[in-house]
Amino acid sequence: MADRALPRTAALACVLRFNFLGKQKRREERERGAEDGVRPRVNTFSPEGRLFQVEYAIEAIKLGSTAIGLKTKDGVVLAVEKRVTSPLLEPSSVEKIMEIDEHIGCAMSGLIADARTLVEHAFRVETQNHRFSYGEPMTRESSTQAICDLALRFGEGDEESMSRPFGVSLLIAGHDENGPSLYYTDPSGTFWQCNAKAIGSGSEGADSSLQEQYNKELTLQEAETIALSILKQVMEEKVTPNNVDIAKVAPKYHLYTPAEVEAVIARL
Amino acid sequence: MARFDPYENNGGTCVAVAGADYCVVAADTRLSVGYSILSRDHSKIAQLADKCVLASSGFQGDIKALQKALAAKELIYEHNNNKKMSCPAMAQLLSNTLYYKRFFPYYTFNVLAGLDTQGKGCVFTYDAVGSYERTGYSAQGTGSALMMPVLDNQLKSLVLSYCQLRTFNTKLLLVQDAVTPLSESDAVDLVKDVFASATERDIYTGDRLEIVVINSSGTHRECIELRKD
Repeated sequence: MADRALPRTAALACVLRFNFLGKQKRREERERGAEDGVRPRVNTFSPEGRLFQVEYAIEAIKLGSTAIGLKTKDGVVLAVEKRVTSPLLEPSSVEKIMEIDEHIGCAMSGLIADARTLVEHAFRVETQNHRFSYGEPMTRESSTQAICDLALRFGEGDEESMSRPFGVSLLIAGHDENGPSLYYTDPSGTFWQCNAKAIGSGSEGADSSLQEQYNKELTLQEAETIALSILKQVMEEKVTPNNVDIAKVAPKYHLYTPAEVEAVIARL
Repeated sequence: MARFDPYENNGGTCVAVAGADYCVVAADTRLSVGYSILSRDHSKIAQLADKCVLASSGFQGDIKALQKALAAKELIYEHNNNKKMSCPAMAQLLSNTLYYKRFFPYYTFNVLAGLDTQGKGCVFTYDAVGSYERTGYSAQGTGSALMMPVLDNQLKSLVLSYCQLRTFNTKLLLVQDAVTPLSESDAVDLVKDVFASATERDIYTGDRLEIVVINSSGTHRECIELRKD
């Protein structure tokens, strides 16, 4: 055993040295960054001034299920396509519209797991912190801003940050003392206030239909019908209470029961 | 062996009374330490937001630190939420700020007062570690034990019966209705009387009384002289 120790130690030394060299080489590569054609770091600009990861994330959302939001003077309506891929799947477990606080709800499109993280950690925690500190509901704009603050915290080096951006777009329906509102966020961390918006795979067709059909005098009922009819246009399957979800914030968040969804489908 | 004592009581009393559409806040302007007077002209009232005023007595060092901290948080809130802080929101914030230092408290006895989001008068009274309650009136400080019984006598049954009338004689007393039916000038006169009484017997209260009235047209300040002995 003793005479085998020497070669073994030598082998170990070689492996260690190899590893050490490898680490150094990788560190140098990282430091060189975007020069000489090496792939740029995740959160740095390309030479043309683009953030590739953010753009790729926006592309990822175009594969996600469609979601539509419409704002009326009485409240905001959200409708999503559940995309139930198998009859064995339990439809009520597919949650693509979530409640953030009593007066805010959001619909998601893209990587649903990312959306869950965003909603849970950023949104729900922030709104409850606000209630704890100030004893009042958070305004819809500052809660939307709180989510977007988290969107750009990605990159290498820091264990705190993620390795890639969130691949999710949100439609945030809210109601506060300034009335109802609809916000749309994307992976770049920007948000826009909209009267109506569609996101996901069917968004282009849905957006142009919304432009034609939307007007500011819609009632909540009319908005429900419009949202569902547009969803029907862009969905491949027939619309049933099991493969769509509708929710409204008017002024409190309410997720429709299958019976209520059935009632809206009947009006189509 | 002399130990470092981080606290000191600089004395003084603060009072607030809430009305249907106004709020009266008053505090004396005497700053003391031990049996000496440090200043006869020191305000204990700080305006935190346009309809929200904080009156504090206790240790002046902690009072100044608390006022600074709250003013800074109010500004950050304004920037983040595009609106000024309401009095009930400031009340919750003050409670949290005080409790944060539960194990090395701010030696401050606070009364936060102003108009709530509906324009009704509101008074919030605190202990040193942040326990708070919305009431129709309150007194805090060295003269509070002399003032509260008088305020109770003059205002409590009025507040209670007014509330009972409004809640149709049920035993349920809603906090939001805890306001006195007195007129603004009557409330100011009551406050002046109550301070005059406390000044007689409390050595830390006196010199001058600063009265701040908050109503829908804004904030109005008035000063009257008190006994200087």
